[in-house]
Amino acid sequence: MATAAELAPRLSDASIRKSWDVYSAFDWPESLDPAAHWYMSPELISIHGTSVWDDLDETARKRLSFYEIVNFFSFVLYGERPLVSGLMNRMYRKNTLGPVTDYLHHFVDEENKHMIMFGMFCNRYAGRVYPEKKIVLPREYARGEEDIAFYCKVLIVEELGDYYNLKMMSDKTIHPLVARINKIHHVDEARHLGFGREYLRELVAEYRPAWNDEELASFRKWLVEYLVSSWGDFYNPAVYKDAGLADGYGIRKLGLQDATCRSFRTAASEKLVGYFQEIGLMTEPPVL
Amino acid sequence: MDEKRIRQDLREWILDRSGAPAERLSRDDMPILEEGLLSSLDVVEFILFIESLREAEVDVEAIEPDVFTSIDTLVDAFFPDIRSGLPA
Repeated sequence: MATAAELAPRLSDASIRKSWDVYSAFDWPESLDPAAHWYMSPELISIHGTSVWDDLDETARKRLSFYEIVNFFSFVLYGERPLVSGLMNRMYRKNTLGPVTDYLHHFVDEENKHMIMFGMFCNRYAGRVYPEKKIVLPREYARGEEDIAFYCKVLIVEELGDYYNLKMMSDKTIHPLVARINKIHHVDEARHLGFGREYLRELVAEYRPAWNDEELASFRKWLVEYLVSSWGDFYNPAVYKDAGLADGYGIRKLGLQDATCRSFRTAASEKLVGYFQEIGLMTEPPVL
Repeated sequence: MDEKRIRQDLREWILDRSGAPAERLSRDDMPILEEGLLSSLDVVEFILFIESLREAEVDVEAIEPDVFTSIDTLVDAFFPDIRSGLPA
């Protein structure tokens, strides 16, 4: 298996070959009618399969799909913002000099374009990006833990996002603009995921052996909670309200507890959880 | 919803989420974050719960982490119009 440093030049070459311009890549329609199209594949909609979903007619489901895609683009955008900042802070360190830093420049460039792309869609058609509700509280880290936590967060936002990208990019039933945004995002993310998986594996091999049992258990607990919390981003009360549904917070709770939704989250997380188990950061599949 | 009910709902949510015994939050000036009753990840969920109580979104950029110090500071920050002068 190639190391991250060995992968980096190939990924940089691919980034240059596949470079695209965010300002000319799309033909943006003047406006979008929320109830006139599917904007997210129905089976990906957060409450698909619940009693609330069953009670909606097709127009209401399409309207919900519009606000769900705006939410999806919003929280991926907010996930990419600290990612860009974190990647910038990791450039030109002693352990990233050379091809890794060269690739991090492409990584940052592509993530910046994704944020522009998502922001343009949300602002143009929904009038806003759904704000995130995160507040970062100060905490102490074991040696290497902050970098490992950073790349875990990167993989979670990118792996979950890519699950959705893959489903939507070839779905002929959804609006073609949304399918294209998902396709473009997926092509860049495939490289980011390849790099991130290998780089995180190397960080874990370097630092984890020095962690004591308590530090390792604490990290594993945090990682499960972070993944559970990340899934919570998909169940936004503001989305349900904007789609005309009453009791948005109650619908969120329903979706988080519903057995069908849990099965979906477990299936969509399978690859990611398997990877975390493989590198020793999870011991068993979490309850999602 | 009156202030007493809001304080009760906030207390119940925090105790339920943290699994802590009721005496850890028997007064409304007792520390929440300092005592580790809530983590950064819990705060995300807690803000959504607060939004459901006040029926309005919270502007996260307009608040500092110290609003989560105690139930008193939470009521001051998120329910400023409902203060009735009830003792904590």
